[in-house]
Amino acid sequence: MKKLLFLSIFTSIIWAENPHEHMHHSHEGHLHEQLVDGKKLEVDPVRFDKFVMGLKNSQIAVVNVQGMVCDFCARGIEKTFKKDKNVKKIDVDLSKGKVLIAYNNNKKIKFDDIKEKILINGQNAIDMTILDL
Amino acid sequence: MGIKLFIILTFMSLGLDARPISYSGGSTIMAFSDNIKNSTYYHYSPSYKYSIGVENIKNKYFDESYSYARFTYLINRKNSQNSQRNLYFQSGISSKGLSEYFYGVHGDWETRRLFVGFGLKETEKKIKNYLEQYYQIGIAPYLGDYGDLHTWIMLKSKKNSLENNWTTYPALKFFKGNTLIEVGYHKKINWDVHLMYRF
Repeated sequence: MKKLLFLSIFTSIIWAENPHEHMHHSHEGHLHEQLVDGKKLEVDPVRFDKFVMGLKNSQIAVVNVQGMVCDFCARGIEKTFKKDKNVKKIDVDLSKGKVLIAYNNNKKIKFDDIKEKILINGQNAIDMTILDL
Repeated sequence: MGIKLFIILTFMSLGLDARPISYSGGSTIMAFSDNIKNSTYYHYSPSYKYSIGVENIKNKYFDESYSYARFTYLINRKNSQNSQRNLYFQSGISSKGLSEYFYGVHGDWETRRLFVGFGLKETEKKIKNYLEQYYQIGIAPYLGDYGDLHTWIMLKSKKNSLENNWTTYPALKFFKGNTLIEVGYHKKINWDVHLMYRF
């Protein structure tokens, strides 16, 4: 019985934690794989640097996506975000399961909007980190 | 122009069941050919959960032509970091009347490296009903990036109750951009060619 109680409390604590991250991080022209809060970003640094090349006054949403296993999935996501006039650039990294979206600095990025756009393509966005250029 | 379109659609054949639903607002055109039938199929997906479409069939076994109004529904999808699993329901009503139709399920599980799929389809016809089954496994010999040419080596096994025997054969699947081509060969069924274009 005690074991069951302990398990219930432990499970409740896990569930109570917010699984989504919407943290802003300062970025100085190249990618820090480890953020200031110690979290690992897991973005290909070469790919990221290529992505941000020529971008100014932008913020990059790095979105972790589940179920992105082929080009068709990626293409749907790319098409959907390209319709958004606030999106300056998008890159899909199938190997890391990441989508990089560049927005203007003045755009307030909402994770729920991004999550919805990815869901209508049949995948799940599970967290997001915002990097300021 | 008509001949070119026919050739394109014919080479689009084999993979009618591959990705039967597109992303929301997406359209797909496919073609299929084997020893039983030739078909072309267009579908539109208002949502990632279902698609509606029209399939034109030249049935070689019964020597007749007809069309199906088709509906496919995503019963279940499980996305994880490195894989996706799907289970679909499919159905169609024939232009020959409400007494001729088909229904079935098919499913798949795939990572960027591995693919496993199956399908069951029962077709009701005035002449004779029949059941089609298939299973397939595949492996990608290399992992391409988004936009690269992707290649899959597949092993397919299928049975049609009209012929009542299993046929197992290798197939190659090539995939780039919006286009997918799958080619298989077996001496009984000859070439098995699928082509799919998504837009």
